[in-house]
Amino acid sequence: MWKTIVRRVLVMIPQLFVLSLLIFILAKLMPGDPFTGLITPETDPARLEELRIQAGFYDPWYVQYYHWITNAFQGDFGRSYTYKIAVSTLIGERGLNTFWLSLLSAIFVYLIAIPLGVLAGRYQDSLLDKSITLYSFISYAIPTFVLSLIFVFIFGYKLMWFPTSGTVDVGADPGTMAYYWSKIYHLLLPAITYAILGTTAIIQYLRSEIIDAKTQDYVKTARSKGVPMRKIYTRHIFRNSLLPIAAFLGFTITGLLGGSIFIETIFGFPGMGQLFIHSIMSRDYSVITSLVMLYGFLTLLGSLLSDIIMSIVDPRIRID
Amino acid sequence: MKKNWLLLSVVLAVMFVLAACNNDGKDAAKTEDGKKDKPEQSEENKVDTTTLPMEITNEGDVIKGGTLRVGLVTDTPFKGIFSWELYDDAYDSEIMKYTTNNLFATDGDFLITDKGIGKLDVDKDNKKAKITIQGDVKWSDGQPLTAEDLIYPYEIIGHPDYEGVRYDDDFKNIVGAEEYHDGKAETISGIKKIDEKSIEITFKKVSPAIYSGGDGLWGYAAPKHQLASIPVKDALIASDAVRKNPVTLGAFKFDKIKNGESVQLVANEYYYQGKPKVDKVVIEVVPSSSIGEAMKSGKYDIATSFPTNQYDSLKGLSNVAILGRPELAYSYLGFKVGKYDKANRKNIFNEKSKMNDVNLRQAIGYAMDIESVGEKFYQGLRVRANSLIPPVFASYYDGTLEGYHYDSEKAKELLDKAGYKDVDGDGIREDKDGKKFSIRLAAMAGSDTDEAIVEYYRQNWKEVGLDVQLTTGRLIEFNAFYDKVKADDPEIDMFMAAWGTGTNPSPVGLYSEGAEFNMSRYVAADLTTMLEDIDSAKAMDPKYRSEAFRTWQEYMSKTATTIPTMFRTEIIPVNKRVKNYNVDYANDTQDHLQTIELTADAPIK
Repeated sequence: MWKTIVRRVLVMIPQLFVLSLLIFILAKLMPGDPFTGLITPETDPARLEELRIQAGFYDPWYVQYYHWITNAFQGDFGRSYTYKIAVSTLIGERGLNTFWLSLLSAIFVYLIAIPLGVLAGRYQDSLLDKSITLYSFISYAIPTFVLSLIFVFIFGYKLMWFPTSGTVDVGADPGTMAYYWSKIYHLLLPAITYAILGTTAIIQYLRSEIIDAKTQDYVKTARSKGVPMRKIYTRHIFRNSLLPIAAFLGFTITGLLGGSIFIETIFGFPGMGQLFIHSIMSRDYSVITSLVMLYGFLTLLGSLLSDIIMSIVDPRIRID
Repeated sequence: MKKNWLLLSVVLAVMFVLAACNNDGKDAAKTEDGKKDKPEQSEENKVDTTTLPMEITNEGDVIKGGTLRVGLVTDTPFKGIFSWELYDDAYDSEIMKYTTNNLFATDGDFLITDKGIGKLDVDKDNKKAKITIQGDVKWSDGQPLTAEDLIYPYEIIGHPDYEGVRYDDDFKNIVGAEEYHDGKAETISGIKKIDEKSIEITFKKVSPAIYSGGDGLWGYAAPKHQLASIPVKDALIASDAVRKNPVTLGAFKFDKIKNGESVQLVANEYYYQGKPKVDKVVIEVVPSSSIGEAMKSGKYDIATSFPTNQYDSLKGLSNVAILGRPELAYSYLGFKVGKYDKANRKNIFNEKSKMNDVNLRQAIGYAMDIESVGEKFYQGLRVRANSLIPPVFASYYDGTLEGYHYDSEKAKELLDKAGYKDVDGDGIREDKDGKKFSIRLAAMAGSDTDEAIVEYYRQNWKEVGLDVQLTTGRLIEFNAFYDKVKADDPEIDMFMAAWGTGTNPSPVGLYSEGAEFNMSRYVAADLTTMLEDIDSAKAMDPKYRSEAFRTWQEYMSKTATTIPTMFRTEIIPVNKRVKNYNVDYANDTQDHLQTIELTADAPIK
């Protein structure tokens, strides 16, 4: 297994290299540059040209690429043109926000989806099953921004149960209990919204796995031995039915840094999704390339993790 | 399979019910609003911008202190560069308005007066300006404001490692600025400290623009005692002194900053006009999708950069007063009549270009029903512009200009006169030689209504027999738009865009021979003279200058190479617990923040 892991990690290197080349060229091909947005009657076009030269935009692309890639190898991903701080610091800040939000929503997703999936599968075709299916179809069909807006209006502005923007109350002093509570408080509403929208796949997989498992021989055997139904479900069926969900787990873990542009925009939550879109719109090359590289790496890592997890939870699977 | 269909139909049925509920809800809300509105609302759904006040002076007992809550409407986090020399994000400057390092007070024309911290004395014969600190002024950390703090911002902007846009043509007008920037001199030779309270700057030339903050004059102080030890190269812009604990001169000072999300300010006890009456100001980013609801539910006292197209969400609110003021901007329609010569850095007018027919251009202007667009799409918050100077600049704006009001008959007449006639009888005019004639318009993609507005104009033009097609076939994204327009893309005959004018109305940077931003590329000897006249030594006399501005506006209107289309009104919703808040530009940055008071502990719901 270790051999395989090492081999897959080694294969990532050329993959990431090709990705870096593609994204670098595509980013430069976009019309405009980070200074296009600065034009007003009071800015001097000659100064903008100077800044472009200073930033090296007129060098041939392979020279620019060489500078960028050699710096990246030394851990220097450059500086954001719009935020004027190191890209690593910027992504660190936003990434952390997104990480906590995604983690909390992932927890909520499992908390909602697993019981519902199990119930739907166990009481197949009952009214309960049908309601759960209906719920999962509706939550699948509702566009993210619609539900987010509805929630922010109802729970944020009408009922005033939750804060409506930001990640933390500005008045709270970092390090105090109030500060951490305020952070969690700010996460709750977006996380719940995100979670409600993300349960469909897990519910449906779990439901069909459980329905399948019910007719399997090992269940019949257990039942004929007189094992109580409750125990059959918790001990035998549930464990086996979780396998397809474990298959996603790798992607779920690496996906924690993905972010959602809609949720972040509507909840005024500065995270990775917004950073990505905004960096594209403002042509913030260093941020665009770094983020694409990061996402590319995470996707490759996610699939590797998923395979490793599968081989651990399912002894029938061996990766060699 | 049958089962699936059943399920699907159940789902669909539920959807319809939900949708129906939604509609009911909406209608109910509408009638409710309608009832509330009836007394004030006119028959037409149009705002009379002249009735929007600039100041809120609520009656009622005030509370002591209190927290003013400000919603900063933006869908992207602010950048958090709190330095007037280094920032370039409009939202950062919105926040800095509360803390400002502004040296000068300005009047309604944005001309520098003596009422601020600094006093400006211009010696036009010797091309010198003297800036004096009036009285004892202290920074927010208690340190005195000195002449060094007035010089330091020039040393930041002129620094060889400075990466901002402000080291520009204007700045090089200061004697010695270029030598300093090129690293040939230790200091800027044209800037001298006279004593602890005053400095003298020597310029290469002095024009009337200096009173608008032009010619290289810088309007802000920088706290040298805090910044001097931080290198300009890379370090300054990332430093805590800029991002976490900036030292300032304004009514409020930074207390806590949550980067990109919110800022907490507290009253500055050292403020030169006395400590503000409000204890704290909290500024929070609010997504544009929910600011209307936020004002309604009393979450904020003031919303800055409120999206005009959400005016409806404020109508009929009993807890919110709506202030309005003209924006420093105008939209325009430009015609390509030349090219920019990059090598020689000047515009070259091409007499033979397709759009170089003044009758054609005027006809295009007369054919546009801008009045209706302003009323129907912007509820009167945008009106037809008659001039290239926004009316805010009262002494320079020519209110008597007719401009291009909607008159399709006149447009047709002009086209007939110019020889654009419909030869083949298809309703579309051919060019002077009887060949097919189609004009290509570049328009920018922005808000949801932009597409509809452009389509409406195209219909207008079609009515007078002009075929107008969109460059690239659709609206163009911002970056691509300016790339194409600046490069004089042959696919563009005319283009619709807008300028934010800033506070210096001088048109030289936008319409002169050397201006790269003169995107129509129109150049003429008489125009050059007029532009020079506006910033000439003679124009140091305000009357003369105002006359020069008028002459230029009339000329531009007549030649119609750039037709102004719309002026805008900015709306600022304010909760009714706020007392003494004034948005008049004459008071915008100075003299009023410390007078704000609150009449309740929390915003009124």
